[in-house]
Amino acid sequence: MGQEGAQKRGTSTLPTSTTANGGSRSGRSLRGNRQIHKTLNNIKITILCGLVTILVLRGTIGFGSLSSDNDLENQAIIEETNRILAEIRSDKDPDDPEDDQNQPTVNLNDTYTLGAKISNWDEERSLWLSRNQDFPNSVNGKARILLVTGSPPGPCDNAIGDHYLLKSIKNKIDYCRIHGIEIVYNMAHLDKELSGYWAKLPLIRRLMLSHPEVEWIWWMDSDALFTDMVFELPLSKYKDHNMVIHGYPDLLFNQKSWIALNTGSFLFRNCQWSLDLLDDWAPMGPKGVVREEAGKVLTANLKGRPAFEADDQSALIYLLITKTEWMSKVFVENSYFLHGYWAGLVDRYEEMMEKYHPGLGDERWPFVTHFVGCKPCGSYGDYPVQRCLSSMERAFNFADNQVLKLYGFRHRGLLSPKIKRIRNETATPLQNVDEFDIRHSAQGSSN
Amino acid sequence: MLDRIIGPRRTRQFQRLLRNGKVTLLCLVLTIVVLRGNLGAGKFGTPEQDFKEIRDTFYQYRGKRTEPRRVLEELQTTIETTSSAETTNNYAEFDINKLFVDEEDDVKKNPNEPYSIGPKISDWDEQRGEWLKQNPNFPNFVNPNKPRVLLVTGSSPKPCENPVGDHYLLKSIKNKIDYCRIHGIEIFYNMALLDAEMAGFWAKLPLIRKLLLSHPEVEFLWWMDSDAMFTDMAFEVPWERYKDRNLVMHGWNEMVYDQKNWIGLNTGSFLLRNCQWSLDLIDVWAPMGPKGKIRDEAGKLLTRELKDRPVFEADDQSAMVWILASQKDRWANKVYLENHYYLHGYWGILVDRYEEMIASYHPGLGDHRWPLVTHFVGCKPCGKFGDYPVERCLKQMDRAFNFGDNQILQMYGFTHKSLASRRVKPTRNDSSNPLEVKDELGLLHPAYKAVKVSSS
Repeated sequence: MGQEGAQKRGTSTLPTSTTANGGSRSGRSLRGNRQIHKTLNNIKITILCGLVTILVLRGTIGFGSLSSDNDLENQAIIEETNRILAEIRSDKDPDDPEDDQNQPTVNLNDTYTLGAKISNWDEERSLWLSRNQDFPNSVNGKARILLVTGSPPGPCDNAIGDHYLLKSIKNKIDYCRIHGIEIVYNMAHLDKELSGYWAKLPLIRRLMLSHPEVEWIWWMDSDALFTDMVFELPLSKYKDHNMVIHGYPDLLFNQKSWIALNTGSFLFRNCQWSLDLLDDWAPMGPKGVVREEAGKVLTANLKGRPAFEADDQSALIYLLITKTEWMSKVFVENSYFLHGYWAGLVDRYEEMMEKYHPGLGDERWPFVTHFVGCKPCGSYGDYPVQRCLSSMERAFNFADNQVLKLYGFRHRGLLSPKIKRIRNETATPLQNVDEFDIRHSAQGSSN
Repeated sequence: MLDRIIGPRRTRQFQRLLRNGKVTLLCLVLTIVVLRGNLGAGKFGTPEQDFKEIRDTFYQYRGKRTEPRRVLEELQTTIETTSSAETTNNYAEFDINKLFVDEEDDVKKNPNEPYSIGPKISDWDEQRGEWLKQNPNFPNFVNPNKPRVLLVTGSSPKPCENPVGDHYLLKSIKNKIDYCRIHGIEIFYNMALLDAEMAGFWAKLPLIRKLLLSHPEVEFLWWMDSDAMFTDMAFEVPWERYKDRNLVMHGWNEMVYDQKNWIGLNTGSFLLRNCQWSLDLIDVWAPMGPKGKIRDEAGKLLTRELKDRPVFEADDQSAMVWILASQKDRWANKVYLENHYYLHGYWGILVDRYEEMIASYHPGLGDHRWPLVTHFVGCKPCGKFGDYPVERCLKQMDRAFNFGDNQILQMYGFTHKSLASRRVKPTRNDSSNPLEVKDELGLLHPAYKAVKVSSS
């Protein structure tokens, strides 16, 4: 602009000293020359400035695209991260061919079977036991129990779910170590038809048949926690029964309530009767039309049941109230909390610690606290998340305190992951072992 | 116009001045811009930063930035801390860290007090021997050739920073539960920090000492990291080999005693006998652990003294190498550095060969042909930062898990559809005579699990 102004003034005023060639030429050619020069000058300056601008911009912002290399890389990382997470979380299998195409169409007239029919399991089993004396069905006077639990093979919908699954299995490991019980943690879907809560049926059957040395199979949900580390199952009570389940006979027979029993924690004896019951229980399970229709039947017949597909608990209740001959070998237990519904228990832990002591197993010190409805592995539960998770944390720490007692520690509050000492270290630790190890007191009491 | 005020000549000078001034200013501005672009101007920033700021204001919803590709972070917008969080049923909206409440303060330790892992015990062998005699129901040998073993592992009581970290911890403990059930080993899963000063990899020392003293019936304590998995379910540790040894680690004698190489042994999976010697060793091992100045200084010493060790605070593994190399006379005769099987197997050289192993070998070997343990050192699935790319680590952990799980599932007639697949398929038809089905690997009722048939 300045140059143009100068140019204008240059042409309107007398020739200045800058036009060196000056006076000998005609005014017109002089003016033309000057104009050409000025134009050339302007063009040079414009080009120079343009070059410099491009150079500067290139150096600072980058050439071509709007994002820098670093940012492109970040973008790629974000996408890759998301993809990995999504792939891990999904049940999709890169190697799996389309399952549905290989599946023969289900004939609704065929009754679903859990497996090949076995009719002489009791004889087979006792024969095996007599041939394998080093795998007896009871150890140190206690019947051999196998605790079975599990969770889906993929990650939970959110990370908190997996964390509580981990705490839950630690809790079970602690109880079972103290009481000499073995654990099977299942993460495989053995039967595509019996998926979800029904998956325990083929699993229980499979384990019974593979482990004849096991006397009792104890199924426990992944959302159930042991809260009484001292309490032992009074197995002698059940010597004439083959199934032990928590429930209320009144709710079962009189009210036909769908929550009369709870299949989150129950025991099955390893015998023919149990195999037969499983066979009778399974038909409502196969997913799809069968399960939907069965669900409708159950909702119609059981009190308080909402409308949804058939679940194993309602199906068992329905089975037991319609075919009451099964009941002769079923023990409906409610003298202790083989399953303890969490809502009525978790707020009272401090009161329990003050007034009572472990080993009772009932409402004073519940054996099992079962977080029905919380569903931490899914996205949505039936209760507020804050309540569920803080209650689960409290129950976990309540139980963990009983384990840590032997080592001289306890949690700093039922919501605290940190621990503090309750006993000084000593150079003669074995006195504490005799006093505080639950196994010793259990042994002592049985002697 | 200026003509009339100053005079034509002056006007021309003035105009020249103006022109020059403009050119000078222009050049100055250009110089500053170029310099700023190249060198920056401190808090006034660089053009690149300007551009980023401008772009950021437009792209607010792009999400958090990630660090280099080792970071696996959930990309969520910041969690709304509104009152609706109290009543939401949606787990994704909840911030777990708001759940924890410590009712008591940390105990302040006297900084002048030297660290002690516990009161000195000098007669542990006698105390323990006496106790075992008085408690015949808790023998330290379950079979004449099989000592009672306690496998110890653990993780943090708080959720992992990595959203899938807890899932891999869960799979890892399931894997250990399976191996230990088959081999008659008990498990202690620790989630408590016993000593705040010995945090991180040192946390195992006070835990191990506490467990040794609280479980006199345990003959061997087997520490195993949470990122190590069993991949040979049929291999039984050769206990007889160690009857005169108190500490068994995977490693090589030359690398520890001669080279003083910091990875000459691995403390991610080792066996420690419950005896006075072990307590003494822990007393000598612990002093490099207390966090802060002691650990940092010890780290410098270790980097200086050990071969190839990078610079970082003292870790328990380097400290062990240092102790063995410098106090060889005191400890070496009771230490067994095992390398005939993979008591610890570095995952990098094993995971790609699983298919080859399945084709050519069989479980029960425990060595390079079929490793006992595949240890994912450096992967750190629970944390945000690992030493290896996330995808490789997690995919390989899945493969190692399935490789081990196949050996468990085959007992029940199933196998994974592939090493990468979570789905299983049956390997045999369901039989009406289940007890006649052959147990290929002999894992259902192995000899080492047989109960002593007591005559009493």
